Amino acid sequence: MHDSVTGRTRLHPRLASLGLAGAVISELMLAERATLDLASGQDRLYATSRDATGDPLTQSVLDHLIAEPQHPVATWLHFFARTIYADVTGRMIAAKLLKPPARHLLKQQPAAPVNTNTAAWPLARLNLSVERRKPPVIRDCVLFGLFVATGGAQRALREHDPAFAAATIAVLSAPLQKLIVQTQVAVGEAVISRR
Amino acid sequence: MSLTEQRPSAVSAALAKDRLGVPSVVFFVISAAAPLMVVAGSVPTAYAVTGVIGVPFAFLMLGAIFTLFAVGYVTMARHVVNAGAFYAYAAQGLGRTQGVATAWVALLAYNALQLGLYGIIGSAAEPLLLDWFGGSPAWWVIALVAWALTGLLGLLRVDVNGKILSVLLVSEIAVVLVFDIGDLLHAAPSGISFEGFTPGSLFVPGVGAALATVVAGFAGIESSVVFAEESKDRNRTVPLATYLGIAIIAVLYAISAWAQTVPTGPDGIVKAASEQGTELIFNQAAAHLGSAVSTIGSVLFVTSSMACMIAFHNTTARYIFALGRENVLPSVFGRTSARTAAPMAGSVLQTVLGLIVITVYAVFGLDPVTKLFFTFGAFGGLGLLTLLTVTSISVIVFFARNPSEETVWRTRVAPALAALALCVIIGMTLINFDTVLDVAPDAAIRWILPGIYVVAIILGVAWARVLKATRPEVYANIGLGAQAVSGGSK
Repeated sequence: MHDSVTGRTRLHPRLASLGLAGAVISELMLAERATLDLASGQDRLYATSRDATGDPLTQSVLDHLIAEPQHPVATWLHFFARTIYADVTGRMIAAKLLKPPARHLLKQQPAAPVNTNTAAWPLARLNLSVERRKPPVIRDCVLFGLFVATGGAQRALREHDPAFAAATIAVLSAPLQKLIVQTQVAVGEAVISRR
Repeated sequence: MSLTEQRPSAVSAALAKDRLGVPSVVFFVISAAAPLMVVAGSVPTAYAVTGVIGVPFAFLMLGAIFTLFAVGYVTMARHVVNAGAFYAYAAQGLGRTQGVATAWVALLAYNALQLGLYGIIGSAAEPLLLDWFGGSPAWWVIALVAWALTGLLGLLRVDVNGKILSVLLVSEIAVVLVFDIGDLLHAAPSGISFEGFTPGSLFVPGVGAALATVVAGFAGIESSVVFAEESKDRNRTVPLATYLGIAIIAVLYAISAWAQTVPTGPDGIVKAASEQGTELIFNQAAAHLGSAVSTIGSVLFVTSSMACMIAFHNTTARYIFALGRENVLPSVFGRTSARTAAPMAGSVLQTVLGLIVITVYAVFGLDPVTKLFFTFGAFGGLGLLTLLTVTSISVIVFFARNPSEETVWRTRVAPALAALALCVIIGMTLINFDTVLDVAPDAAIRWILPGIYVVAIILGVAWARVLKATRPEVYANIGLGAQAVSGGSK
């Protein structure tokens, strides 16, 4: 989503935030800490396990889910999108993946990657799998799905093949697919919204 | 309702902080209606082209009809997804096929309203440029500058910032009111006449043409329900803001339209408006209040036209985006500009259409105010009337099929009365369409233009049938907008 050298964003902050919110929720879902209640038709997101996640960010997200299990996933996406950008940046700085943002002569520099190769690697993996038309590992399928949902894939991937994207997303479990669709809905609404 | 839902929710509270209250929604809604542009642009043009003195009464009457319409409209907004779009009402009330036909009409109408604005910006800016630099380029040069600016801002998704918008809007309304007072203090020798407020002055030959223009002045008010999802209390905020918006527009425009007739007297207004066009109210203001006030007004006229242009550009682009998201239009229109979060393809399409229209009018040397601004405005007004009628009927059908606890007044009586009144107005507009276009009563063009809507409806129905036969999964999602990708579950 970001330039791997400068760290400048390629995606509008609002869309990036919705995508990141989807990503953090999917982390919890992949770790089997949370899932979607598809039967109710409300797509309610709830925690399935109270085990500690071992990471402050996902833990705080999980704590929110445990405290208020009644909300549909769309509400959570909007809720987490408010703060998630800064949170994820903070987590990546703490993990020494990003350099802290620096101020140069009044101009705020974005947090830049510590290692360009590490930063470029996920996108390269996606490019590679599109090129070979072979779905990547599940984690990357989710990343790919969210990337398509936010509209970033069409912009940043070397080639974009809607049929392959659909096939990749179809590999995922029903709750994860639903999460990606709801992210896409939220992105569409953000585009239509006047603010 | 379970116990957990009654506990105050930190999540709901946090999200509620970002939500809009009544004043914000009213500001958004009225700014799209651009008060100064209507008062300085539409009203004198309506006087000049139609020769009808009853324009002030027309604003009050249409205000009443819009209020009736809004009763059913805001009621249904509580029950449907994608409440911002007229075609969603038709799709969810009358059926998906009718929804697509409505979408086609809406695209045409909004496009016409947006494109017509390129005709007014030139005459809005010209007097200022003459005053400041002693010369002014041709109208189409100014229009092209405005066009480029609108297209660029549309792609960058720069909606005029809410705060700037409120400041502009409040100053516009203030200027309009000051102008009105100036007019009232300098009545014609014959004294102040209230003729403009009498029904008799409106229902004369040409009434339909005047009504179509006045309807275009209300365009934008229907966008209030777009904010249903983002408002503090969707059951209260949106209806209140809608009624308030309609009331403010109707009263402000009626008074201002009437005030313009006071210095000239009702008999002189048509002549004055024909001679001075969009400069009329600024000339009046300069005579009564001095040139400084008049110049402030002229500047705001330009900003008002620009803001209106951007608002309509973005509205139309979003409409196209929603249709693309549903795959009713090619899915390329449903694509987002990832970097700016703008509905890219729709925006570009708008911009291209704008260039074509400006070029055609410039090449053929057609008058931008009466032939572009007024004709397109009236054409768009006619489309808007059609949309309002269809929406009112959709409301009735929707609640007949989906019984709810809403009152009969909201679900049946008010929408039925609104539909009836709107049909009458459409009839009158069609009868007077020769006046709108300023052509002979037997000219073919007067039937061709309204006929475009008929063609759009037929094409829409045909396209819906094609979709139903070849892509049933797309057909099933018609009317859901951004929700379409999820198959409608919320």
